[in-house]
Amino acid sequence: MRLLGLLNRAIVLLSAIALVLASCVLTYSVVLRYFTPEPTDWQDEFSVFLLIGVTFLSAAWVHSQRGHIGIEAVASILSPRTNRIRLFVIDMLSALFCAFFAWKSWTLLHEAWTEGYVSATAWAPPLWIPYLAMSAGMTLLTAQIVVQAFHRRPMPDGR
Amino acid sequence: MSVFEIGALYGVFTLLVMFSGMPIAFSLGLVATVFMVFFMPPAALDTVTQNVYEEMSSITLLSIPLFILKGAAIGRSPAGRDLYSALHVWMNRIPGGLGIANVFACALFAAMAGSSPATCSAIGSAGIPEMRKRGYPGGFAAGLIAAGGTLGILLPPSITMILYAVASEQSLGRLFLAGIGPALLLVSFFSAYAAWRYSHEARHAQTGSVLLADERFTLRQRFAALPRVLPFVLLLTGVMVALYGGFATPSETAGLGAILALILIAVIYNTWRPRQLEPIMINTIRESTMLMLIIGMSLLYSYVMSYLHISQSVATWIVAQELSRWVLLAAILLMVVMLGFFLPPVSIILMTAPIILPPLKAAGFDLIWFGVIMTIVMEMGLIHPPVGLNIFVIKNIAPDIPLGDVIWGVMPFVVLMALAVVVLCLLPEIAMWLPEAVIKTMR
Repeated sequence: MRLLGLLNRAIVLLSAIALVLASCVLTYSVVLRYFTPEPTDWQDEFSVFLLIGVTFLSAAWVHSQRGHIGIEAVASILSPRTNRIRLFVIDMLSALFCAFFAWKSWTLLHEAWTEGYVSATAWAPPLWIPYLAMSAGMTLLTAQIVVQAFHRRPMPDGR
Repeated sequence: MSVFEIGALYGVFTLLVMFSGMPIAFSLGLVATVFMVFFMPPAALDTVTQNVYEEMSSITLLSIPLFILKGAAIGRSPAGRDLYSALHVWMNRIPGGLGIANVFACALFAAMAGSSPATCSAIGSAGIPEMRKRGYPGGFAAGLIAAGGTLGILLPPSITMILYAVASEQSLGRLFLAGIGPALLLVSFFSAYAAWRYSHEARHAQTGSVLLADERFTLRQRFAALPRVLPFVLLLTGVMVALYGGFATPSETAGLGAILALILIAVIYNTWRPRQLEPIMINTIRESTMLMLIIGMSLLYSYVMSYLHISQSVATWIVAQELSRWVLLAAILLMVVMLGFFLPPVSIILMTAPIILPPLKAAGFDLIWFGVIMTIVMEMGLIHPPVGLNIFVIKNIAPDIPLGDVIWGVMPFVVLMALAVVVLCLLPEIAMWLPEAVIKTMR
């Protein structure tokens, strides 16, 4: 639990840097286009990799903040006991899906690594980079969901 | 099983999982995966993650986190308060000017920040106390801000519109421009209502009421309010010029806008230390990751829907009904309104686009025009119970206004939005004139 927390904090810091870096790269390509006739080839894709990385790697941290929104309409009708059971079942099903997605990401990563997949653009960066972000991010998310399901504490706002 | 039975099952299963309270992103992914297991060849399951990656790895979609960063940087700075007070000192001589200043502040701020909740909290936290101090009823003040905040998804750079442009394969630049006319229409409706409501309240107010109190600002005070606001207005126009002058693509304007916004708050508000930037970055990551996962899983969801021919069959079925154009439009909008009660605009667009856009196109509707209409209709969902995101933002910044008052205060604005939809159906030029004119001059 504490290890996950530390890992998540490091990821949030890296994500913040990645967001600013992606903004800089896109700004750079605007400036470059203004001053030179050279085509911009790697900037868009570089930013895509950064932003895919941010999205998947920070998913676990966002879950720890209960940031993935759902429709909570039934919560008010059910008794506290039924609600606890409902939340546990939801967490288990979410974890099941995320585990499946993580597993398929790892096999995709393996394939991309051994077959040497590259992106179909002029710059042609290897695709294992974003796939690694997806695999690691979804694995972390699965772990986070399971850990939280067993240590469910009420959030400050009562959720 | 026939396609229709599978389709019905898909729909029912989705509703069931979503209403269980499972986070929207995981619900969509789970439903899609379960149907892949049962109805699609095993090989499809092996490429599920590749599908998600390929659908998501478009720089247009991935510009969304950067637009959110720009919005968070401006939204968390005192810019909203400054913008608000500047408009207030300039407009206070107009009857009902305080309410109108709030509407204008919301519209301008929404265009800079691009987010409805951010607009509500930035303008509302200054505007609501001020309006109540001047004797405006709490419910009215809350409704005005909640409704004004929704302009964020109609004015560029609207995240909702980015998704619509991707889902409908329409030009994002044109769609952005098409939102401006209708946004001005809504601004004038809201302002007219604010003025009418003010005169109504003033007629019934007793002499000596704070509502009638006169307040004057000198010219010096008026001009003193400008310097902190102008840079943000320049940012807004600068980004638009970069986009429509052909210097930058929409996704590049996201990066450019984020960098400029960070520089502006560093220079004007001295916000540059890591500790000060932390809340901005944390909010950005939380909101954008939540949104991007919903988007990724919605894309998987609609991929499965179209692989199983559900979307195509339903779309063909709707076309075969040979409904008159307006009945078709009304039926579709009604569905969007109902979905808007529960779902955020991003998932509504991605889940329904493959079903509703082909029939609308066949009926001869312009898809850019429809994008604007659909956005306004989804705005209603943002301020309408039970989910009404903006209502809860207002509840947070003004906890002492009873929820019932907020909801009743919002209702007139829901009616005004519906009226705007009708006006846009009768006069589509309000939306379409600006994109046509700009595209013509660019040629």
